[in-house]
Order: sequence, then structure tokens, then C-alpha cells
Amino acid sequence: MAGEVDLCLRAGRTTALVGESGCGKSITAAALGGLLPRGMSRDRGEIRWAGGGERGPGKGLAYVFQDPGECLDPVFTIGSQIREALPKEDRGRARERMTDLLRTVGFDEPERVLASYPHQLSGGMQQRAMLAMALAGRPRVLVADEPTTALDVTVQAKILRLLADLQRKENLAVLLITHNLAVVAEIADEIHVMYAGRIVESGPVEMLRAPRHPYVQGLLKALPRLDGAERLEGIEGSVPPLGRRPPGCRFHPRCARSRAVCAEREPPWTACGPGHRVACWACGDGGWA
Amino acid sequence: MSGPLLQVDSLRVTYGAPGRRVVEAVRGVSFEVLRGRCLGVVGESGSGKSTLARAVLGLEERVDGRIEFDGREVLRMGRAEIRAFRRRAQMVFQDPMGSLNPRLKAGAALAEVRRVHGLAKTRREAAAQAADWLATVGLDAAYANRFPHELSGGQRQRVNLARALCVGAEFLIADEPVSALDVSVQAQILNLLKSLQETRGITWLLIGHDLAVMRQMADEVLVMKEGRIVERGPVDEVLARPAHSYTKELLSAAPSVRQALDRRAAERAV
Repeated sequence: MAGEVDLCLRAGRTTALVGESGCGKSITAAALGGLLPRGMSRDRGEIRWAGGGERGPGKGLAYVFQDPGECLDPVFTIGSQIREALPKEDRGRARERMTDLLRTVGFDEPERVLASYPHQLSGGMQQRAMLAMALAGRPRVLVADEPTTALDVTVQAKILRLLADLQRKENLAVLLITHNLAVVAEIADEIHVMYAGRIVESGPVEMLRAPRHPYVQGLLKALPRLDGAERLEGIEGSVPPLGRRPPGCRFHPRCARSRAVCAEREPPWTACGPGHRVACWACGDGGWA
Repeated sequence: MSGPLLQVDSLRVTYGAPGRRVVEAVRGVSFEVLRGRCLGVVGESGSGKSTLARAVLGLEERVDGRIEFDGREVLRMGRAEIRAFRRRAQMVFQDPMGSLNPRLKAGAALAEVRRVHGLAKTRREAAAQAADWLATVGLDAAYANRFPHELSGGQRQRVNLARALCVGAEFLIADEPVSALDVSVQAQILNLLKSLQETRGITWLLIGHDLAVMRQMADEVLVMKEGRIVERGPVDEVLARPAHSYTKELLSAAPSVRQALDRRAAERAV
């Protein structure tokens, strides 16, 4: 599904994993917490934590998903759902911690929210409640899988700002999974772009000003812009489904710059700036781009 | 031909059973769409934009006001007339999978609507025409034999477009037609919508939340909030000089990649 993904998450930094549907970004995130669906397994590689050991959710890793309405249980109040997520040592002063958590995620009236059922909150408030729940276990890593995609644009901006604040205040390592490059540009420090199960380009977020990989360049050109040209430049074709992924560079059938070698062998990594690397024959050493 | 194809005057749509609280989803909206042009409607969820679209096609029940299509009043059309109207005015939805019958191959989906509207007499005739319509949306005839689950999201949306066009649609309402698609495919579909406007003279009502998409597609734009139009005008003007605070908020909430990077670089410099 996803092949050889190297990620390094640092405290106080936001790392974005970007790609289109089916590229393996959510599976990568699930593998981190040992949440792979039945029938799928991690067959190679390891997950190392500073300080040693492998840890799953609840012990240092927490998740926030796309649709808060789906994740919250409709028959319990927000308060009772957050209480469940509190670690044992906090149970004694549960109310105090819960109101603190809700204040942290920007609620002015935490008491009222604690007593509310999910349907009584708007989408943005539900996502804040999810964030509070994720923070309840004092995680070191927060995985946010398309955290704002289901929300309205103006609400989206507020949740992103909140996520950036939390990361700074709580010194969290955030792994942001998204398909939205503008969201990445707003809050990520590092970015990894995936295509059909592999990372094709990685670097500091500023690399989006001048990406090297033809796929990443294509993605940026395909975005409608407020100051854009009359006609958009899409990328011909579509993402190959699982099981029909081409050999060599997986992007080569859609790539205007591909040559024979691209269809034969997987491209190696080429460094192209501090922390910036790309897997592409055309832009590698001895390449033609 | 020029002049308005669709004219809507003081449209109101309400929801709610008798005796219960009535929700006014659209509160007095007036606008017109000129032939061969694209009118964009932007707003957040709950702003009434999708209800507005449904009302225009006569799919809402509690509607007040006047909707005129090609000079005829939609709310007063008789049965024969409404059938013709439903052929000429079609809708394309956000979720391309949800709007296709999973048990019908693409060709059969087109043939079905052609037969329902009495445009093809036999199955054979309908099937032959289906291939032509698939070609107009950039799909090879071989796709006629594919089921929806065998198509990619972009291809499904092309089939939906072909299905709308094949009954002779002149006016298309597209409700978030690309928001469920991958970025690299969105551009292909938007370009297709644009070329259909140019080559076939299709008139569009495009509903969405993305101002950059509107900038690309629409000639004029309406900004809706809480069931009312809060701003309207040629799309370039509205984007360059937004007058309403809500439009300004929408614009600043969705920066481009470059704007976002510039903003952060400026923050770091302080």
C-alpha cells in the first residue's frame, strides 16, 4: 500500500504528509499508532521514539480525524467523552482538567460545552472538542488527518490557527495529513509529498515556492488561483489504483518529462537544498530537467 | 441570442412542518443568468445556496416568488411544459458516485435518461448515441461498458455531465462539482466545464465555496449568507474590491500557497 516511508517528527514542529486520495498518507498515519485495518500489516521498518520503545495511541500519540461528527458518540455528553480519555492520575480532578482542556482549545464557557451533546455544537466546535479529547492524554505526537476538510472555509482558518498555537504551547510534534497545499503552506514546517505509496519530494515548507518534482509542480499549477490564468493546467490521467501501480517511477505515465529509464527503475533520492530532496530521474544528477 | 435565460425574483424557500418552527432557508433572493454565461453562488454550509439551486429546478415545495426560465414561469408550468423544462435544465452534484446508479454501466445510464425523455426509441439506438455523448465529455467509447465503481472520480463526474447534456440541457446547475475530486483532476473537470460553455453555449449556475474556482469559471458572482445575497457583481470586481465584511473574511480565510508562505515569512521577520 505505502512503500518505505521515512518520517521524522520533532517536538514543536509540524510535519505535513501531502497527497491525493489513495496515495497511502492515511495508512502511514494509521501504521504509526498500530491502527492498521485488519488484513494489513507493517512488513518492514520501525517506529522509534526518542527515549526508546514503540508506543501507540494513549501513550504519547493522539489522533484527530476529518469528520468530528462521525468520531463523537451522539448519545454521550462532551464531558463524559473527554473524561474517558483522561489518564488515571487525572481522574481525581477530572472537572478541573476538563475545563482547562476546553479553555486551551478556545472555549469561553467550558461548563456549558461539557454538558452539551455533539449535535448541539457546530462543526468547528465539535472539532475543538475532539482536539481537547486528543490532548487529554498529554500526547507528545498529534496526528491530524485532514482536520479541517469537513469544515467551512472561515472555520477552517480558525482551527488551523488553533492547531498552530497548541503545537507551540504544548510543544507537540504534529503530523498533518492533508491533500490541501494551502493548508500546508499555512502551518507546516516540513513537508513530504506522496504519490501512489511513495514519498517523491521532501523539504522545508518553503520548497513549495520552487518544487522540483514534476508531480508537485503539476499539483501547484492545477490549483485555481485568484490571480491565475484563464485556463488551468491539470495533470493528464489520474492516480493509479492499488494493484495497477506502474513499475519504475510511479508517476512516469503522467509525466511530460519521462524517458525510458523512468519506466524501468525507481528513481533514487537526490539532495537539492538544505533538508530538501527529490526522487526523480529528470531532476537528479545527470538528469535532463 | 442574448438576454436572461433565467430570472429569479424575490425567491423565498421555507422548511418545517405546519405548527412547528419554520426555517426560512432562502429569504428573498433576486438575480438573473444571461444566456451562455456562468453565474457563481458562494457561501458556507447553511447559507441557502443548495436550497436555492433546488428551488430553481422546481424541486422544493414551499417556494414563494417568481422563477422565469426562457420567459416562462416555472412555478406555473403544466405537466408537459415541466417535462420539457426538466430536459433543458439539469443538475450535476458534488458526489459523482452517489449520483450514479451503481448497477448501470455508463452507457446504460445515458441510454436510460434518453429513453425516459423519449429521445431514443429503442435500446440499440440509445446505446449508439451514448458513445457520442461520452465523446463530448472526453471519454472514449470503451467507457460505455464500465460500471461506476470501475471509473475514477473524475471519469464519474464526466459521465454525470454527459448524462445531463444528452437530454439536451442548455442550463446546468453544478453544486460543488469538483470538491470531491483530487486536485490534479479538478483542473481537468473545470476546464471541461469551461469548454462546454464556450463550444455548446451552456448556461451555468455554479455553486461552491471556493472563490478561486469562481474566479476561474464565473462571469458574475453572488455571495450568500443566511439565506440572503450580501454581495454581487462581476467576479473580478468582487474579488479585487470586496465590499461586505463576510466576503472579505472568505477571501482572507483561503489564501493561496504563495500568500500563505509570504504571510509567514513576514511574521518571522518581525
